[in-house]
Amino acid sequence: MSLAVEAFVSQIAAAEPWPENATLYQPLREDQILLSDCASSLAVQAYLRMCNLPVHVSCRSNAEYMSPSGKVPFVHVGNQVVSELGPIVQFTKAKGHSLSDGLDDVQRAEMKAYMELVNNMLLTAELYIQWCDDTTATEISRPRYSSPYSWPLNQILAYQKQWEVRRKMNAIGWAGKSLEQVYEDVSQCCQALSQRLGTQPYFFNKQPTELDALVFGHLFTILTTRLTSDELGEKIKSYSNLLAFCRRIEQSYFEDSQAGSSSRGYSKGPSLF
Amino acid sequence: MAAPLELYCWKGDWGLPSVDTDCLTVLAYAKFAGAPLKVHKITNPWRSPTGTLPALKTTEESTGSLSKPSNIIIHLRKQKYNADYDLSAKEGADTLAFVSLLEEKLLPALIYTQWVDSKNYVDVTRRWYAENIPFPLNFLLPNRIHNQQLERLRLVRGDPTLEPGEQLEKELYHDALECMTLLSQRLGSHKFFFGDSPSSLDAYVFGHLAPLLKVKLPNGKLQQHLNSLDNLRHYCTNILILYFPSEGGEPPIRKVSVHSDGSDFDSEPHKRRKQILSVLFAMGSMLGYAILMGIVSIQHIRPQAALVGPRHIEEEGEEEE
Repeated sequence: MSLAVEAFVSQIAAAEPWPENATLYQPLREDQILLSDCASSLAVQAYLRMCNLPVHVSCRSNAEYMSPSGKVPFVHVGNQVVSELGPIVQFTKAKGHSLSDGLDDVQRAEMKAYMELVNNMLLTAELYIQWCDDTTATEISRPRYSSPYSWPLNQILAYQKQWEVRRKMNAIGWAGKSLEQVYEDVSQCCQALSQRLGTQPYFFNKQPTELDALVFGHLFTILTTRLTSDELGEKIKSYSNLLAFCRRIEQSYFEDSQAGSSSRGYSKGPSLF
Repeated sequence: MAAPLELYCWKGDWGLPSVDTDCLTVLAYAKFAGAPLKVHKITNPWRSPTGTLPALKTTEESTGSLSKPSNIIIHLRKQKYNADYDLSAKEGADTLAFVSLLEEKLLPALIYTQWVDSKNYVDVTRRWYAENIPFPLNFLLPNRIHNQQLERLRLVRGDPTLEPGEQLEKELYHDALECMTLLSQRLGSHKFFFGDSPSSLDAYVFGHLAPLLKVKLPNGKLQQHLNSLDNLRHYCTNILILYFPSEGGEPPIRKVSVHSDGSDFDSEPHKRRKQILSVLFAMGSMLGYAILMGIVSIQHIRPQAALVGPRHIEEEGEEEE
């Protein structure tokens, strides 16, 4: 979101309370959504639940095109549309709901840095595995991404998306990496998160923050998604405190009766339990 | 180690050991870790072993030459030159996190301010690279890098129609200013990020911030903000004085005027020579074309006819006499 629009939106946002009919849009859960989008969507849902803000999840096949920035998920609140976790956090802050107010400057710097770590390493690794690894792209990503469309549009869109992601990987220097190196990077990232978490219940002691939501979104999705190989999940399972962390958040925020059935819906494979 | 490792990197200017962020990161890390490197400061990336700069030439056959700063640092660590030896596990994790923060929030703005912003690019960046890269690459490379960087920004932002302009500038700078403020808050009043001895995070931060501090750009909003953060400014100058004493110390004003005088002096005779050569070439080609087309040959006949005329009269005159 541009700065002027952001300031304007914040002003309007501050005026109105959070409505009951706020909706979160994501691609189709069963057939279309991919690992990276599912992780981002789950992160946003976890964050909103942590803030106690009700949101209704709506699955649309063209969610990506509806989104103002081209990325999913996005929320439709009142008469504003906000996409991606960063802007959504700022939007809710303007409405007076924030999870990170109690942090001091150094902690806030660390929180932002770790969020960027997840975005830089985990999200990029997810994108790489989905689109740059030929097996996964052919067997899973392309068929799923283009499932709502008929021939020949499905082929065109799938290859276009793959090409775009590969060019991005090229631009940031990930194109030369092999799959093993990417798994190694994921492992390093998880090690860093695990060491930061230590034995605390959440990253910043007693209260969850947006960092917890983001980490939960990614780790839970990786653990419960069936890919061509289990190596990603295995990397995370080797850190027991991260597993316990995911279970804790799932139990605290996703275990009411509604979410009980839908939590299995998030996963494309077996759930954590 | 038996043979010292060789590092190829961009030349330095404005009091910096190198003008490129990645090269600075690697040079700083090598100094911090005490690695003996043979540094080749070149201006022609095609002469480096990998085709890009920085490049580390290793002695092992299996690794060959390494390019990315992270790979180079990992290799140096394997050779037991480890600046992160004293860090705790949590500090190591923090390093990864803050490096990601730098790359996601600060680096796009740095790329924009040096390569995409039109005034900065034309006045400073392109000029420096065109003056320093040898012929004929100086015509090709700056433009190519400019296009590559713009493409990179487009891909990273996910918007293929992105154009350099005020809108994009505001968004990128907003993120970058926030990042610099966060770094300043994390650094506090310490000498380095983790205690009293520098680590790889210090190398990365120095590599990103030092060009911003030293290179004088016409559109310098990022520079202004960095100057307002005293602890970061002292931090960079401190590292320069402590670890790169031979480069720093020259006041930039004097350096700029000497540089411009030197460049005038150097380019003047070349310029004149080029001008004279081009004029001669143009004249020669015009003459050649004229002769071939017969324009000039007609002119030659007339003086001959004029010569023949008087001689004829003379002959007549002689005959008469």
